[in-house]
Amino acid sequence: MPELTADVVLRKIKSGEKVERADLRGLAMPKASLEGVSFRRCDLDGANFEGARLARAVLKNASLREAFFAGADLREANLESADLEGANLQGANLSGANLSRANLEGANLQAADLSGARLTHAQLESAKLGGAKLLGAQLAHADLSETDLSTAKLDQADLTSANLNGSNLEEASLARAQLRDAQLRDTTAKGARFTEGVLANATFCAADLTNADLTGADLRRVNFSGARLDGAAATGARVHGVLGTGTPIQGLRADWVDDAAEGAPVKKLGAADAAALLSGQAATQKRYFGRGDVLRNANLEFDAGASVEIESLFDQCTIALGNDAELVIGKAGVLSGCQIRGAGKITIHGKFVERDAPGIQGPTQLVVSSGGSLIGAVEQPPELTRFAFEPGCMLRMKIQQARRDRAAERAVKGGRQR
Amino acid sequence: MMDKDVAQRKKTLVEEGTQFKGAISSDCPIEVKGRIEGDLAAPALSVSPSGAVHGRVKVGEIRSDGELAGEFDADVVQLSGTVKDNTVIRAKSLEVKLAAANGKLQVVFGECELEVGSEHVEKKESPALPKATSVRPPAPDGAAVTSTKLENAPPNGAG
Repeated sequence: MPELTADVVLRKIKSGEKVERADLRGLAMPKASLEGVSFRRCDLDGANFEGARLARAVLKNASLREAFFAGADLREANLESADLEGANLQGANLSGANLSRANLEGANLQAADLSGARLTHAQLESAKLGGAKLLGAQLAHADLSETDLSTAKLDQADLTSANLNGSNLEEASLARAQLRDAQLRDTTAKGARFTEGVLANATFCAADLTNADLTGADLRRVNFSGARLDGAAATGARVHGVLGTGTPIQGLRADWVDDAAEGAPVKKLGAADAAALLSGQAATQKRYFGRGDVLRNANLEFDAGASVEIESLFDQCTIALGNDAELVIGKAGVLSGCQIRGAGKITIHGKFVERDAPGIQGPTQLVVSSGGSLIGAVEQPPELTRFAFEPGCMLRMKIQQARRDRAAERAVKGGRQR
Repeated sequence: MMDKDVAQRKKTLVEEGTQFKGAISSDCPIEVKGRIEGDLAAPALSVSPSGAVHGRVKVGEIRSDGELAGEFDADVVQLSGTVKDNTVIRAKSLEVKLAAANGKLQVVFGECELEVGSEHVEKKESPALPKATSVRPPAPDGAAVTSTKLENAPPNGAG
């Protein structure tokens, strides 16, 4: 039995008396109106506050083990260093609450709203946070190991140095979240969204990131050893210093990644190099033609999957690209009076001017970046070219269909006329 | 002359299922969810995935997710959707985003010409389109299309 009954507690509150440090174990106050009340250092183990209105209440250092707060309003409540081990906070509104250094081990926070809550150094081991809202929550140094965070919304949350080892982040949303130095060993993060998040120095050893979205994320010096990244998206991710998975990645969706070191300008790597880097496999050997070099009247052939970067002047040259070979004309690169053919991927940061039309024949992908220029005709393959043009590019180009398509079209038109 | 703020707030809408043949000139941005065949002049043109514009177009800005055919002059062009055969796009700036590998193409280009870059537009400024003239839009399959003169015509389907 509690030291005070619910009626006595309510009377004390109304008369302005303090109920701090009281033994209130098992107190039942469901749906009570207790806004701003202080239960500081009270023993409220097993108390029932289901649906109670406790906005701005002070529960600092209170013992609330196995307490029942389902559906309670705890907005901006002060629960700093409270002991909530095994408490039920399902569907509770804890937005803006202070739970710094609170013990929430094994607590049920499913579908709770913790947006903007302070949970720094909180103990959340084995807590249930499935479907919880943690938008912009402060979870730096929190212990979230073995926690269920499936489908939780953690966009813009601060998880710096948090321990998420063995946690479940399946389909969770962590867009623009801070995960610098976080530990995510053995984490299940299938389909999780880390878009534009900061994950630098994080550890994802043996984590399952199948179909995860890492688009635009900062992955510098992340440890992916033993992790699964099959079907993951990583276009635009910063990957310098990444420790790869150690096994091939199936279906990685990364058109390019940025391998620039801290403070260096963007260093784009194409899809093949991105997959090689993230898988930790030996990267395709790159053929590089540096500044100042001049090649004239040359015929060059590059194998399937080759990676070629040109920063030189190529004059009257013919380049044949094998399937999926990548050709990057760097900012200083100039291909004058040249011809490129084959089912490769071409990126133009510099200049390309054709000799005979079509100057570019059969590319699977053609990107002209801002500052890049292309003068000539491009003949698409039958399966068509994936084009991308960045604002600021300069084009004088004709796009043509594959020769056999054009021939077939002419035959059809001729047939109609007859 | 229409007040600038009003022009910015209002827009001319050609709704899905509506087909407009003739010349259209507006001080407001034009949004096309249906189909326009003819000359078009406006500060901005937006073509939704269900929309199609076939003809001669002179606008400040084009954002297209639909179908374009004909001659397009603009300062800024953002493209996805389809560009049909015999189309010319002239712009100071063109943006086409890269589609995901193995995904749907961002833009399906037919046989067309792209003239992009500020140098070109300064050198080869096209004359302003007349407010309303008879139009002969390019036929998608080479068949003749009857042009329609719509000077001071009621906004049948437009507006």
